[in-house]
Amino acid sequence: MLGRDRFVGEDGGVQTPYTPPSRAAEVPEPPRLRRPVEGRVVGGVCAGLAEHLSQEVWHVRLAFIATTFLGGAGVVAYLFLWALTPQTLAAPAPRAATAEDSTVAVLAGRRISRETLRNLGVGAGLVVLGAALFAQQSGLNLRLGLLVPLLAVAAGAVLAWSQLDGAERDRWLARGGASRREGMVRLGLGVALATVGVVVLATQGRGLAGLWDVGVAAVAVLAGAVLIAAPWAVRLWHTFRDEQAERVRETERADIAAHLHDSVLQTLALIQRKADDPAEVARLARAQERELRGWLYAGPRGSRESLAAAVTEVAHEVEDLHGIPIELVVTGDRPLDERGTALVRALREALLNAVRHAEPPVSAYVEVGPELVEAYVRDHGAGFDVDAVPADRLGVRESVIGRMRRHGGTARLRRLDDGTEVALTLPVTAPTSPSSTTGATPPTGPAGPAASDSVPAAPAAPAAPDAANRANGANPTGDAAPAGTQPAVPASSAGDAPVSGPPPTEPQGARP
Amino acid sequence: MTDPIRLVLVDDHRMFRSGVKAELDASLEVVGEAPDVDTAVDVVARTRPDVVLLDVHLPGGNGNGGSDVISGSRGVTTPAGAPVRFLALSVSDAAEDVIAVIRAGARGYVTKTINGADLTSAIRRVADGDAVFSPRLAGFVLDAFGAAAGEVAEVDEELDRLSAREREVMRLIARGYQYKEVAKELFISIKTVETHVSSVLRKLQLSSRHELTAWAVGRRLL
Repeated sequence: MLGRDRFVGEDGGVQTPYTPPSRAAEVPEPPRLRRPVEGRVVGGVCAGLAEHLSQEVWHVRLAFIATTFLGGAGVVAYLFLWALTPQTLAAPAPRAATAEDSTVAVLAGRRISRETLRNLGVGAGLVVLGAALFAQQSGLNLRLGLLVPLLAVAAGAVLAWSQLDGAERDRWLARGGASRREGMVRLGLGVALATVGVVVLATQGRGLAGLWDVGVAAVAVLAGAVLIAAPWAVRLWHTFRDEQAERVRETERADIAAHLHDSVLQTLALIQRKADDPAEVARLARAQERELRGWLYAGPRGSRESLAAAVTEVAHEVEDLHGIPIELVVTGDRPLDERGTALVRALREALLNAVRHAEPPVSAYVEVGPELVEAYVRDHGAGFDVDAVPADRLGVRESVIGRMRRHGGTARLRRLDDGTEVALTLPVTAPTSPSSTTGATPPTGPAGPAASDSVPAAPAAPAAPDAANRANGANPTGDAAPAGTQPAVPASSAGDAPVSGPPPTEPQGARP
Repeated sequence: MTDPIRLVLVDDHRMFRSGVKAELDASLEVVGEAPDVDTAVDVVARTRPDVVLLDVHLPGGNGNGGSDVISGSRGVTTPAGAPVRFLALSVSDAAEDVIAVIRAGARGYVTKTINGADLTSAIRRVADGDAVFSPRLAGFVLDAFGAAAGEVAEVDEELDRLSAREREVMRLIARGYQYKEVAKELFISIKTVETHVSSVLRKLQLSSRHELTAWAVGRRLL
């Protein structure tokens, strides 16, 4: 009794209001049947059984000794229990097992399940051997033949039940309605079969003629055992699966709740506080929408290490800074390398320029191809005056055009009927290889001509790179069609030198 | 504009429906509204509109939202005999949602952030039997057909790839170009641009390309 009281007393779940009540805390549960390492005389069976049944050890031992005189039943039962009961690895003081300790013991018991199997085999062999010995030495054949199967059935059932959680046991017993009736039928059938088998075995005379009947009886017993066990096994499996699914659902719901609390609810509170500032409210709503969208639809495929993710992040940052929405479309993706980072920075400058100086809608399109990355930033500003390129446009020129050129790419500005478009191109190699050190010698193929743009003293063919990059050359017009009036930025100086003044035909960077 | 385009609004948010109604100009007449799939199928069959503006996500039906409205309204024609046309409208950025409703038969897709003038012209375009692609849908298409990775059809009839010219048109739309800007850029007529876009729409609806069927299977449409 002591062990049980300690168990309840030390589990604070019953008294402490903050601990969520669990089944284990509400129903004091006897410790599982284990053979303790310490405090045992022979195999620890009596000690374990005493712990399990909350009895004094010597009571149990006395019972075993007493039953041994009843045709050796005690010995047989002891051997069975010894074979089937897992041994505790670590040895907690048997009577002072706290909840934590018993968890350790349970874990240990699971870990040695293979050892249990071996023990089972050895024990069964020993039992058979003992039975044979008894049969030969004394005239107790009949009673032993009766006792062995009976004890086997009893011990098996006891053990099967004792290996289950109290919760599982309650659930099985609390089955209602049809399934319960069905279970009772099965149980009765199984018991009846087992009984028939035992009766056949018991009433059968000795001799070879009885072998057939013994075989039939054994089959009957086995069939009964299977009938008893099958629905339990099925139910156990279902219970296990249901619980797993339920746990997954609960985790998901908790995640969603946590996320909504951290994001949407906070933003709604902020919006209420800033209700008199429409621009700020719009900005907050837009940022929140984006965040929620990214969370719901798993964002732009993957990690921050990818070019697409970096582009998206930059576009969102610019959106937040100026409160102007950017319609961003990204196709394809590749790992983010040094040159990709340069493209992202140049794109950021172009986007900033667009939201600062032009009118929405601002759209950005980034196409990540196998050999070329192209990025376009398009706005709907009033356009700009080609000749009025002020000296302070150095920022855009350097951070967009110069940067792209240094990394082997190109940057072009073109004026449309309605707005302006910045086109960035960057030849890339296969996604796995590191970025080229020079950045000026992309591989052969469609992107090849682009190299000429970054080679010093190659101001000719301003529109060639873009046109050549068109797939299959099927589009001779492309972007480069109005090349006569909208030339690409010529590489009039060496790649790394900042452009100090606008060449006569250069229209870029001119939105004051 | 001779007759106003007769329009049905299907969206489960009443506020959004009234917002759209306020933004549309006089050349469009809203003849019906519906908040869910089953009502929408009823209203479409009864009013026989020119265009149905259809939210992708709707309650009711078989759980496939706008796609269910389209499949439930198959065979319905306008009084003039033209098929009822659907324009999908969504806040969703998920490719499978958009592709699913397109493959069910919608003539285009726009996002809910579209402004009134653009929405009006998109509806008018759909009423004329043309296709409407938002930049985002064009991006999806380029991705789904592998066009961004350089896959291009040898012949126009190939369903699983875009032709070089279709790819160009899609790229320009993804860059935010209007149809007339695309036409000017490629030195072709607006009508030709519309032909290319309709051809892409047809491929999008009929192609058995893996990326598209995978999305459709994910939405239990096949």
